[in-house]
Amino acid sequence: MNHGFYLWMSYGATALALAIEIAMLVAKRAKSRRLIEEERDLEAQD
Amino acid sequence: MMAAATLGSWPGGFAWAFARDFRLAWRSPGETVLVIAFFVLVASLFPLGVGADMRLLERIGPGVIWVCALLAAFLSLPTMFSSDYGDGSLEQMALSSHPMVGWVSGKIAAHWIMTGLPLTVLSPLLALQYGLEADTLLVLAAALAIGTPVLSLLGAACSALTLGARGGGMLLALLALPLFVPILIFGAGAAEAQAAGLSPSPHLSLLGAALIVAGMGLPSAVSLAIRIALD
Amino acid sequence: MNWFYLSSPSTFYRFAGWLTPWFFALAALLTAAGLYYGFIVAPTDAQQGEVYRVIFIHVPAAWMSMFLYFVMAAYAAASLTFNTRLAAMMARAVAPTGALFTFVALWTGAFWGRPTWGTYWAWDARMTSELVLLFLYFGFIALANAFDDPRRGDRAAALLALIGLVNLPIIYFSVHWWNTLHQGSTVKLTGTSMHVAMLTAMLLMVFAFWMYAIGAALTRVRSIILERERRTRWVRAL
Repeated sequence: MNHGFYLWMSYGATALALAIEIAMLVAKRAKSRRLIEEERDLEAQD
Repeated sequence: MMAAATLGSWPGGFAWAFARDFRLAWRSPGETVLVIAFFVLVASLFPLGVGADMRLLERIGPGVIWVCALLAAFLSLPTMFSSDYGDGSLEQMALSSHPMVGWVSGKIAAHWIMTGLPLTVLSPLLALQYGLEADTLLVLAAALAIGTPVLSLLGAACSALTLGARGGGMLLALLALPLFVPILIFGAGAAEAQAAGLSPSPHLSLLGAALIVAGMGLPSAVSLAIRIALD
Repeated sequence: MNWFYLSSPSTFYRFAGWLTPWFFALAALLTAAGLYYGFIVAPTDAQQGEVYRVIFIHVPAAWMSMFLYFVMAAYAAASLTFNTRLAAMMARAVAPTGALFTFVALWTGAFWGRPTWGTYWAWDARMTSELVLLFLYFGFIALANAFDDPRRGDRAAALLALIGLVNLPIIYFSVHWWNTLHQGSTVKLTGTSMHVAMLTAMLLMVFAFWMYAIGAALTRVRSIILERERRTRWVRAL
């Protein structure tokens, strides 16, 4: 295996990990927005 | 059942909790027997798995026995506080006049008597299966004698933190086993050093230091964890 | 990062929202500069060839993995001492990013070890301690989320973080001791003194990761704040 393989695997995995974290942050944001909407709906029902 | 002292005290609380837990375990020894049986069984499985090459067994013996001790100690952790937590006794004990670190230490000491101590006593027999020399065997037992109380202390902290948590035993394992790593390393290392002709005293000294620090610091941490669980 | 914990969730939410883009922008700039120095300016290594350039990810990630644990533990200590919600939320916000850097450090370490040591994994002090650190992060995250009451999770995980903090140097020391007795092969992976460009690139990447970590943690804590405070007036007014 030439050294390019190891460099690509390292930098690639790091980029992938950061992408996954950012995706999770976006998902978490969306989830909290959704929960706030649910709270509003619950309040509107009162 | 509560001690009749009007002023709570550390020794009073310790003695009370120790006697209580010891009595309870004595009356229903099932769990203690389970722990010991598991220890013996798993330690006996390894030679069957890796083959009867005595040189290999002699090399891995201390490590394997220590891992078995870790797992066996871990087995008895979930129930350390959970039954008292479930029926409200833990809350009663927290409200007593005895300082919390006292009776918490008593509980942990009783736990060690019923798990770590039997393991330590049995370890020479298991060590014979691995062909360990007499001096290695003794060092191993000494290391277990010093190290298993630390496992009880660390385990108690993890057990108290996970009271009433989802994820049960798996969560407890995730918390406790990483914290057990240094004890494993120094404990097995002591016996391995002896077997290699080196002195085990640095390992044993470090284990002793760990026991002192854990004994002084962890009961307070366990008390805080119980308080967190009871709020 | 430490002075924020005194603020209330609503003011901090706005403050963090204002700050976050700057941290991500800084992270991007520093990464660009670091990679430029690392790949264009820094020369080929005499012994390792090109593969040494993994160091520009590996060492910064490893440093951040340890640093973020300290930050997390500091917030944990603050949350237990002052019983504030925001400090606990910050600890929760930092943890996943810390775990990510720990994983990256382990992964890049493995892919650096294979061509240089001949093996993907070695039980040396740093790798083994780093692996245990990953489990400590997982334990914190799992415990924090193991209760229906989030405050219970906050406090239990905070105490766990502090117990883990005390253990961290012990774990490293024990593995180092164990390893030196067994092999004595803690390998020096760089030359005796680093080439200036290599050092520059590495430091730039350290700061890049740091800025990213702050940005990610602030983003995460804003979501946590929204979720926890969703029954308050100011959240509903958003």
